[in-house]
Amino acid sequence: MSVGQAVPMIDAVERVTGRIRFSQDVRVLGMLHAAAVRSVVPHGRIVRIDTAAALQVPGVVAVVTGEDLRRLPGLRPVYGPQIEDQPVVALDRVRYVGDIVALVAAETPRAAQEAAALVAVEYEELPAVFDPLEALEPGAPLLHELEPERPHEGTALYFGIRPQFGTNCCNLFRIRRGEVARGFAEADLVIEETFRTPAIQHVAMEPHAALALWEDGRLTVWSGTQTPFNTRQILAAIFGLPVERVRVIVPPMGGSYGCKVFPRIEPQAALLAYVTGRPVKFVLRRDEEFVTLTRHATVVTIRLGLKRDGRITAKEVRAYWNTGAYADCGPDVARKGGFGIVGPYRIPNVAVDSRCVYTNLPPAGAFRGYAVTQAAWASESMMDIAADALGLDPLEFRLRNLLRDGETFATGETLHDVHFAECLELAAAAIGWEGPLRRELGDGRVRAKGLAVVMKGMTTPSRSEAKVGVDRSGRVSVYSSTVELGQGARTVLAQLAAEVLGVPYQEVRVVDPDTARTPFDNRTTSSRSTYMMGNAVRQAALALRERLLRIAAERLEVEPADLELADGSVRVAGAPAAAIGFGVLVEASGQEELVELGEFHNQGGLDPDTGQGIASSHWHQGAGAVEIEVDSRTGKVTILHAHASVYAGQVVNRLTAELQNLGNIVFGVGSALFEELVYDRGQLVNPNLSDYLIPSFLDLPERMTHDLLERPGAEVHGLGETALPVIPAAVGNAVARAIGARVTELPLTPERVLRAIRARGGERG
Amino acid sequence: MEQSITIELNGERRALTVRTDATLLEVLRDGCGLLSVRETCGIGICGACTVLVDGVPISSCLLLAPLADGCRITTIEGLSRGDELHPVQQAFIEQMAFQCSYCTPGMVLSAVALLAEHPEPSPEEIAEYLAGNLCRCGSYPRILAAVSDAARSLRQGGA
Repeated sequence: MSVGQAVPMIDAVERVTGRIRFSQDVRVLGMLHAAAVRSVVPHGRIVRIDTAAALQVPGVVAVVTGEDLRRLPGLRPVYGPQIEDQPVVALDRVRYVGDIVALVAAETPRAAQEAAALVAVEYEELPAVFDPLEALEPGAPLLHELEPERPHEGTALYFGIRPQFGTNCCNLFRIRRGEVARGFAEADLVIEETFRTPAIQHVAMEPHAALALWEDGRLTVWSGTQTPFNTRQILAAIFGLPVERVRVIVPPMGGSYGCKVFPRIEPQAALLAYVTGRPVKFVLRRDEEFVTLTRHATVVTIRLGLKRDGRITAKEVRAYWNTGAYADCGPDVARKGGFGIVGPYRIPNVAVDSRCVYTNLPPAGAFRGYAVTQAAWASESMMDIAADALGLDPLEFRLRNLLRDGETFATGETLHDVHFAECLELAAAAIGWEGPLRRELGDGRVRAKGLAVVMKGMTTPSRSEAKVGVDRSGRVSVYSSTVELGQGARTVLAQLAAEVLGVPYQEVRVVDPDTARTPFDNRTTSSRSTYMMGNAVRQAALALRERLLRIAAERLEVEPADLELADGSVRVAGAPAAAIGFGVLVEASGQEELVELGEFHNQGGLDPDTGQGIASSHWHQGAGAVEIEVDSRTGKVTILHAHASVYAGQVVNRLTAELQNLGNIVFGVGSALFEELVYDRGQLVNPNLSDYLIPSFLDLPERMTHDLLERPGAEVHGLGETALPVIPAAVGNAVARAIGARVTELPLTPERVLRAIRARGGERG
Repeated sequence: MEQSITIELNGERRALTVRTDATLLEVLRDGCGLLSVRETCGIGICGACTVLVDGVPISSCLLLAPLADGCRITTIEGLSRGDELHPVQQAFIEQMAFQCSYCTPGMVLSAVALLAEHPEPSPEEIAEYLAGNLCRCGSYPRILAAVSDAARSLRQGGA
């Protein structure tokens, strides 16, 4: 059986031959191509839009503005997964450079782009704000006027969020546990520091791509999205339709890493298709990708109370998440970051205020690591600062404070299956922690080691359903709404069904997500699918197995308990000759396909005002350790060895599991050393892959190693993100050790490192 | 403005009429339906649109189609013979050298060109040669292993 083994993806041949079809490859007869006209000012009122020249371009079919949108009866012009604040097309105001002001549909992509460039827009500029702290000051320009009576209209609400009305704060999430004042009073030492991370971009190789088609009042959308059911619900709300009249079909994606979580271009494609009566395809240009969704820039201040013996008495956190012009899922990012920043430590007194703040920048949302990369950058840097202040080894200091099995986290929940200490010790051992932590090599070259450990929640509560069927040809099919974005979802789900039904996993067909064919799933996020959907598939396969056994037992006139499944047939245990193929059993049942449904859900939730409850039904746990070299003459950081140790519980597919760890390390290297979106008064300066760098073959650590920690009988733990957030934090800690000064802001560019070295020199001099 | 060009595309002679400002990427993808040729950056940085022109890997997003007149062009559709995979493709599967696989066709074609030039490349030479092919999923260590394996198999007459 393949579960637990290292087996290639079921679609490997499709992939290496280039035959796999992504959403950007979907085409239908008569389709038009969309282009967007985007704001060139960070904040402004639209005075006038002149579309005359654009409409003259041969091949242009329609130009749609906010005024047109407003005139369409029965349409809801705004949407958003947590706060409905984003217009399909700007209605009267633009809120960032890149905001959509008008949409063009044309016969060719070139005609659409040419026409979009000819739409003339006149703006009355408004004061703009880009920094989350400035955005919260009295008198700051307000991005939205959220009102207490209808803070989050409509149905797209997932949890209790707390907008601070009359300010730019769209969610304030708090944790209150114990009494921090008492904790600080008890402390021998109180330290405080502020940490920053920049906005960065996902840079999925395949851009956002969607095709919308209206037929007889029904909307079908093909889209590379991680959220087929949320997208269906939001499209239905915009067009005033019952959800069953909207169908979302999801082909595999050429990467996403969070950028395709929640609708992003589907409402616009659907609007153009609605107006023109023709199918419309919308594919973003690379520069548009950069202004469509980013990772939240953050400012985090941590105050820590410490006892000389290394205990932590209190932790106070003020975190600001720059969510840009529209909330997207920023409120939830601020919430998950809010508990993520506490870290996997035993701290009796905790107070967290985590604020999601609007500014006149591109929207920020889900990003691989989902708030934990920024959270760990602050909290794991702070742990090293604390260890240094106490004169303790950073590993020893962490081990004294790490949560153990059965202990209580800051949310009040008791943790089980806890492996933080093991992960950390494995990571430390992998890079030779027992040796010297800092070595000078001469010529200004210094080597040093650093560590980090993280906890990451999985969406709670959430639900997954799956169907598993077998047809008269004996073929097993898995119907699941988990999307394939390169993580190998098709493969692990096939393996899990195959295991139960005794068939080779390569022969299982996995039906791609289609809201008209595949059952409900929350979404493909938070590294939840292998566990949540995997369990739903297993449940469905077990039910199907029971049904096949019952049918076979009747025909063979034996008890079901005497039967076994093997090679696509049911047979009397130990008597292979008396085997009946699945197909024959299906035929005997009189049906074309026998299908069973499986369901799996988790439960919990947090009080938004106290942060008490169940944050996550189980926890992703991981640690990272690195050895780096700093050239203190240039400030250049080289990663010699990066190691990640991740708790896997049980591995379903060793090959794809290892790829998650390796991929996360590489992703973390970019975030640690050079990825940063640079804005000049709201204008993105580097919206291309020449000026915004992502890791190439030449940027890899000299050594990359990792562990997948397994325990017999343990639950499967998702691996999609855990190894990422540990890398920037571990690199930051190693750099601080090497240069004897703390860089508090990512990325660790040569300029920043050099400035820190010089500032330290100044202090000493 | 349009122009007629003749190319040898995956071993077949093709006469095409192309816009003078069309890129080879547009002609291959939209005109010839070769959807393995994929755009990411549009400025010749990422390598996703790599094709071989007279055996040399180039970014098809940067080459104007009229300039390909008379050239021999290979996309990944022209690499395997029916169901028989090229040794580089086979090695990519055996090493699981991809995740989303969007970059894989360009990566494989660059590797094929590398191995034609240097049958026995060191890991450093592979990394240097493939530095213009980006993989955001970060499958790089597996790609290095796959290309080394493919080199060995080609030297042993695997092709």
